[in-house]
Amino acid sequence: MNIELTPVQKALQQEVREYMKTVMTPELLEETKNPEYKEGGGPEFRKQYARMGADGWIGLSWSKELGGKELSHIEQYIFTDEVVRSGFAYPFLTTEAVTPVIAANANDEVRDEVVGGVKQGKVTIAIGYSEPNAGTDLASLTTKAERDGDHWIINGQKMWTSLANYADYVWLAARTDPDASKKHKGLTMFLVPTNIEGFSLTPVHTLGVRTNATYYSDIRLPDKYRVGEVNAGWKLITGQLNIERLSLFTHGQVDSLYQDVCQWAAETPAPGGGKVIEQPWVQHNLAKIKSGLEVVKLICWKQVWTMDQGPLNMADASVAKVYSSEFFVELYRTLLEVMGQAGTIATHSPGAVLKGRIEFRWRVGAVLTFGGGTNEVQRDIIAMAGLWMPRTR
Amino acid sequence: MDFTVSEELGNVQQLAQQILGDFTEVDKLKVIDQQDERFDAELWKALAEAGLLGLDIAESQGGIDLGFYSLTTLCEEVGRTVAPVPVVEVLVGAASTLRRFGSDSQKDQWLPGIASGTTLVSAALEEYNNDDPTSPACTGNKMDGGCAISGTKICVSSANAAARILLSAQTEEGLIVVLVDPKAAGVTLHPQHVTSGETRYELVMDKVQVPTEDIVATASEARSAMTWALQATRTALSAMAVGVCDKMMRITGQYTSEREQFGRAIATFQAVSHRVADCYIDIECLRLVTQQAASLIDQGRPANDEVLTAKIW
Ligand SMILES: Cc1cc2nc3c(=O)[nH]c(=O)nc-3n(C[C@H](O)[C@H](O)[C@H](O)COP(=O)(O)OP(=O)(O)OC[C@H]3O[C@@H](n4cnc5c(N)ncnc54)[C@H](O)[C@@H]3O)c2cc1C
Repeated sequence: MNIELTPVQKALQQEVREYMKTVMTPELLEETKNPEYKEGGGPEFRKQYARMGADGWIGLSWSKELGGKELSHIEQYIFTDEVVRSGFAYPFLTTEAVTPVIAANANDEVRDEVVGGVKQGKVTIAIGYSEPNAGTDLASLTTKAERDGDHWIINGQKMWTSLANYADYVWLAARTDPDASKKHKGLTMFLVPTNIEGFSLTPVHTLGVRTNATYYSDIRLPDKYRVGEVNAGWKLITGQLNIERLSLFTHGQVDSLYQDVCQWAAETPAPGGGKVIEQPWVQHNLAKIKSGLEVVKLICWKQVWTMDQGPLNMADASVAKVYSSEFFVELYRTLLEVMGQAGTIATHSPGAVLKGRIEFRWRVGAVLTFGGGTNEVQRDIIAMAGLWMPRTR
Repeated sequence: MDFTVSEELGNVQQLAQQILGDFTEVDKLKVIDQQDERFDAELWKALAEAGLLGLDIAESQGGIDLGFYSLTTLCEEVGRTVAPVPVVEVLVGAASTLRRFGSDSQKDQWLPGIASGTTLVSAALEEYNNDDPTSPACTGNKMDGGCAISGTKICVSSANAAARILLSAQTEEGLIVVLVDPKAAGVTLHPQHVTSGETRYELVMDKVQVPTEDIVATASEARSAMTWALQATRTALSAMAVGVCDKMMRITGQYTSEREQFGRAIATFQAVSHRVADCYIDIECLRLVTQQAASLIDQGRPANDEVLTAKIW
C-alpha cells in the first residue's frame, strides 16, 4: 500500500503539463470566450487538436496496431487529468470512448477513414443515443434504419447530440428490428457523416453548454458505415459507456479551481478588514472542499489502478461516478459562496474573477450527475452489485 | 501508485476476523455490556496468543513487527465487531508511541508485557476543552529524581487496570511526556460513562511523582511524540469507524432485503436502497482517506493533512 505517483508517473505528468501550456495559445483563450466555441470547434481549436495529433499525443491508450502506445490505465489517466486541467476542450469521448469501439468493429475502409482521422486530430465524433422519448430507458429508442440494398435508410430524431455542430460524424444508435419484444436486441450502430444529405440540426442552449437536436430524414447511408453486426448494437453502447466514465472525472481540473480560489481569498481584502481567507466560515468552506478533493484523487487513482489489475467491479465504477459528479457540483457552489457576487460574473464581462471559470463550471457541472447514466441508476447498481440487494421494481 | 493489500496484511485481517468473530456473538456482548468495564479479558488473551497485540512491536520485544498499517487493519476489524478491547489506546496511543519515542529500557520494560497481554499501558491525550496533547493544561515541575505532574485528563481508557498511562504536561523547560502510574499517590480516578457504552476515567493528578525512568521525552522530542500519538490515534479511530460503518451498512442491506412490506422486500423501494447506496459511497470515501493516512504514517512520512482529512470524513 503506497498511494503515490512513482517518479516515472510524475515525469509523465510534468511532460503533459508542459506540453499543454503550448496548446493553450492566447488565440485559443480568446476564442473560447465565445460561448459557441467553449466546448471546442473553433478554428484555433481545430488547429491545436491537429497539432496534438501531429505531435503524437492522440490515442496513447490505443493498441500499437492502431498507432497507439498501449499506455496503462494509470498513465492514460495522468494524461487525461493534465489535459482537462489545462482547460483544453479535448474530445475525450471521441478519442477514448468511441474510437476504440469503432477500431474493433468497423470495416477496414471506414476504420482507416475515421480512426486514422482521429489519430491525426482531424476528426471528432458526436454521440447520438438519446432521443426525445429515450433517456434512461435508452433501449426504447425509435430512430430507425431500414436496409435498401447496399444502403440503409435512416429516419428519426436524436436529442442532446452534443458537439454535433462541429463534429464530423454522429455515432448513431438506430432500431433495425421493429419487433418490440426485441428491445435491446434490435439496435445497430452507425457512423453518420454530418455532411450527408438528410442530416440537419438545431441548437439547444442549456444552462451550461450548447448542445443540439439532430434530425435524420431519409438519409441514404452506405452499409460500410454500419459498425458491428446488425442488431448487435447494445453491447457496443454499454461497452462504450463504461470507458466513457473514466475520462469524465479527474482530479486536476477541480483541484486547480480550488487552488486558485484559495490564492484569490488570500490576496483579496475582506469587507471588515483583513483578507477573505481569514474569515472562519471561508476556512471551513475551503477545508470541506479540500477533504472532498482528496477523495476525488483517491477514487480516480484506485479506479485506474484496479483496471490495470483486472476488470473493474460495477459497484466501484458507480461509486466513482456518483461521488465525483455530486461533489463537483458542491465544490463549485461552495467556492462560489467564498467568492460572493463577483464570482457569478461571466468570463466575457468586465470584473470576472478567475476568468469566470467557476461560474461556468457551476452551470455545466450538473450534466455529469445524469450524463453517462443517471445517478439514480448508478445507486441501483451499487445496491445490487455492491450489496446484493434485490433489484428495484 | 499501489493499492495492493500484502499477503501478510490479508492474513492479519483473516486471523483478526476469526478471533473477534468468535468472541463477539450477540449473547457474549450482552454479558460484557452488563459488566462495569466493557473489557473482555479472555478476548485480549486470545489476541495476544495470536500475536495480534504485537503487530507494531519489535520482535526483540515480543512483537511480530508488521508496522503501523497492520494495526489499522486490526482496528478496522475491532470496529466491525464492536469488540470490547482497548486496541486504539493501548496499542496505538501507548505502545506504538513508546516504540518510536521511548528509551530502550522503557521499551524493554513495557512492550513485551503489552504484546503478551499481561500488562496494559494506556494513553491520555484529552483534557477539558483541549484535544491537543502538544499544548496541555497539565503542568509538570522538576524535582529530585523526576518530576511532579498536576492537572486533569479526561475519558481515559483502561485507567483503572493500566500499569502506566502515557500523557503530556507543560513544564518550565517545555513539553514533557511521561508514564504515570494510576495507583501512585495524588492520582484520583472518576468513572465517566461515554457514548460508546464504555466506562472511561477522569484522571485527576495532584503533584503526582513520576520517577526519571518514567519520563519518555522532553521538549521538541516530546512534541514529536505527542504529534505522532495524536495522528496515529486519529487514523486508528478512522479505521475503526470504517469497520463499524461497513458492518452497519451490510446489516442494513441484508435486513432490508428480507423485511417485507406491501408484499415485497423493502429493499426494492428505491427510497430505501438509494440510502444504503449512499452509505456505500461514503464508506468507500472514508476507507480511501484512511488508507492514505495510514500508509503515510506507516512509511514515516508527513501525514498531517491526510490524517485531518480522514478525521473529517
Ligand atoms: C447538456 C447535455 C448534454 C448531453 N449530451 C448528450 C450526448 O452527447 N449524447 C447523448 O446521447 N445524450 C446526451 N445527453 C442526454 C443524457 O445522456 C440524458 O439526459 C440522460 O441519459 C437522462 O435522460 P433524460 O434526460 O431523458 O431523463 P429521463 O430518463 O427522463 O430521467 C429523468 C429523471 O428520472 C429518473 N429516472 C428515470 N428512470 C428511473 C428509474 N428506473 N429509477 C429511478 N429514477 C429514474 C432519472 O434518474 C432522472 O433523474 C445530454 C444531456 C444534456 C442535458
